[in-house]
Amino acid sequence: MQQATQTGKEIFSLINTIDAISPDCSLEDVAAFFTHPQYSKLLSLPVVEEGRPVGMISRYRFMDIYLKRYARELHGKRPIRKFINGKPLLVELDQPLAVAARHVLANMQFPLTEDFIVTQGGRYLGVGFVMDLLHAMEQQMRANTMELEQANSQLKSSQLALVQSEKMASLGQMVAGIAHEINTPLGYVQNNVAIGQELFQQVQSMIAGYEALVDDLLDEQATEAQIAAQMQQIAERRADVNVQEMLGEMQGLMEDSLYGIAQISELVLNLKNFSRMDAAATEAVNLNECIESALNIGRTVLKDRVEVIKELGDIPKISCAPSQLNQVFLNLFTNAAQAMEGLGKLHIKTWSSESAVHISVADNGKGIPEEILTRIFDPFFTTKPVGEGTGLGLAITHQIIQKHGGEIHVDSRVGEGTCFHIKLPVVTSILMHQPAASEAAT
Amino acid sequence: MSKPTLLLIDDEERILRSLRMLFFSGYKVHMTTDPQEAIRILREERVHVIVSDQRMPLMQGSELLSLAREASPATMRILLTGYSDLDASIASVNEGEVFRYLMKPWDAEEVKKVVAEAAAIAEASFAVQMHTDISVDTASARSRVLIMDHDESTARTVHETLGDRCEIIWASDAQHAMEELAKQDVSVVVSDLMLGETNVGYILKTIKQLNPQTQCIVVTSFNDTSRLIELINQAQITRFLPKPVSKNLLARNLESMLERFHAVRNQPALQNRQAVAPISDPKEKIQAGNFLGMLGRLRARMGA
Ligand SMILES: Nc1ncnc2c1ncn2[C@@H]1O[C@H](COP(=O)(O)OP(=O)(O)OP(=O)(O)O)[C@@H](O)[C@H]1O
Ligand SMILES: [Mg+2]
Repeated sequence: MQQATQTGKEIFSLINTIDAISPDCSLEDVAAFFTHPQYSKLLSLPVVEEGRPVGMISRYRFMDIYLKRYARELHGKRPIRKFINGKPLLVELDQPLAVAARHVLANMQFPLTEDFIVTQGGRYLGVGFVMDLLHAMEQQMRANTMELEQANSQLKSSQLALVQSEKMASLGQMVAGIAHEINTPLGYVQNNVAIGQELFQQVQSMIAGYEALVDDLLDEQATEAQIAAQMQQIAERRADVNVQEMLGEMQGLMEDSLYGIAQISELVLNLKNFSRMDAAATEAVNLNECIESALNIGRTVLKDRVEVIKELGDIPKISCAPSQLNQVFLNLFTNAAQAMEGLGKLHIKTWSSESAVHISVADNGKGIPEEILTRIFDPFFTTKPVGEGTGLGLAITHQIIQKHGGEIHVDSRVGEGTCFHIKLPVVTSILMHQPAASEAAT
Repeated sequence: MSKPTLLLIDDEERILRSLRMLFFSGYKVHMTTDPQEAIRILREERVHVIVSDQRMPLMQGSELLSLAREASPATMRILLTGYSDLDASIASVNEGEVFRYLMKPWDAEEVKKVVAEAAAIAEASFAVQMHTDISVDTASARSRVLIMDHDESTARTVHETLGDRCEIIWASDAQHAMEELAKQDVSVVVSDLMLGETNVGYILKTIKQLNPQTQCIVVTSFNDTSRLIELINQAQITRFLPKPVSKNLLARNLESMLERFHAVRNQPALQNRQAVAPISDPKEKIQAGNFLGMLGRLRARMGA
């Protein structure tokens, strides 16, 4: 019902309360009315009988009749009833603006010679101007489009937020993956230390027992009974725990622990290298190291499923933002892994030419159909289900490569695989060139 | 009593070696990195407790534990994981029906305690037949289902599924829910985690402390992994269904939880299988304390 009063209001504001004329008015009277200030804005006069509109007489039509020769004399006293337009434009008060406007537009005549009559339940209320109606309509449409635009921009921003939260979610997944990698060694290292601590206490009290026995044996005052009791105590402890065996086991646990700690340190170091997000800071970096770093970080994605073949050549250092290039490689590796159903191969190659360093990342995944090949670098272009892909990976990759003055190209065959080729200029590299192949190539 | 049997599964052998050292004096310890081997052991031997990792290359821990449920229903199931993602924890409730969800790195004393508790519970429930025919029983007792959810569709599904087989109470706020719980025990609770502004986790945890036979189904769009893990350990919720929940899914789970309720109703040994860990959150501890106080007063007043 809210709606009805709302629409009633729309038409209501268009009403001009005008005293209608009776169909029995003479033409002479009507002529007088048309010059009356109350009616000066009207194109036409409403004609009403017993409260109901019966027609309209427009200035235009009136002139047409009245200005003819002798018309005044001939018709002056005759009632207007004979001359009116019996089918005026009618608008009901509670019609929605749009409906009224449509009705008026469909039925009005050109040139515009008449106003419309507003009724309520068929009874005369007043007169409305067509221009006002159209103006109101236009405003409403404008408001609607604004609402639409607003809704649209809200939608867009929430979409973006959604995309960002998805990006966060995949970051979260990555973090969870890394947490797992750390928590596993941390789990056994911590447990081994706890076990060691307990064992340590047992050994301590064991040694205390032996020492007491030695003391007793050396003490000339000690009685046989005393010594026997001490020996008994030691024997009981020995029966309780086999310290010898436990110590043997512990040796193994200690080795495991050292291994675990080394693993954790390596992971933490990788994380640190990777997340040096001082993006602007450029360093002279050997890209082979970035690749290793990205491989390490991406281990949770690649693990088990992907066989990585590295052919890392002797390439010069280039000046770049290593954290960003890590990102580039990780994106490519992740995409490759995601393109594989089941097991797959990832072939990573680096080499250098006169003034550039080249990297190729090839997979034997499902490949990219030609019709989308040109779109894969577009932001938000993804073929992956919601929650899995944001379509930002390659867009970011492209941006980073561009910023470094480089190029990235793709070559793909459906069913065979995809190869990304990156070329980065060697800028300040010649001076810093160090052979790195021996340590990088594995 | 002979030593209870413990089965450990992890893809990292160092974890297995470390855990064995923790338990070898008190338990007969089996360990393996191979899930199939684990299932074989469960079939051949009476195992009290199985402790499994979640993230393994051959099989997810939650999946292994659901297979373990079939192979040896009386064995108590514990997940020990360094990887807490939401899907894994949901699967560990719904499929694995785990007794505890423990995190790596773990506290040696705590894990020892939990395993000992689980072993004792398993020993007691070995004597009781796990799958009794309960159809007779169901008819004899009228069940009560409490809905704690503003969502009308949840209430509608419960009504449509159960019709007048059960007494159905729809609590619109925490106060109302607590009053209903004070009046009489309920068979199944279907609850969101937020009821209006109130986080009702503490109510679920307290119910389970008082009435281990009550089965809790959580339906929610709230997805916080660490809170879910808390609810597994401290409220032993038996189902976690993310919203929107399909009608069929909720109906199916409602039926099976009602059955579960009747199966354990007169079997303290089976009820113990869902014994809860103490509430850890300080704020919730206070809330639970207040709830218990209120419960005592109301029950006294009603002369129950
Ligand atoms: N190695 C590849 N093999 C097959 N298709 C690929 C490969 N790399 C990219 N694509 C295609 O290009 C699309 C865009 O990749 P992009 O990395 O930009 O986004 P995404 O991987 O879908 O999402 P995100 O990287 O944000 O997780 C992918 O959805 C996929 O269809
Ligand atoms: Mg990608």
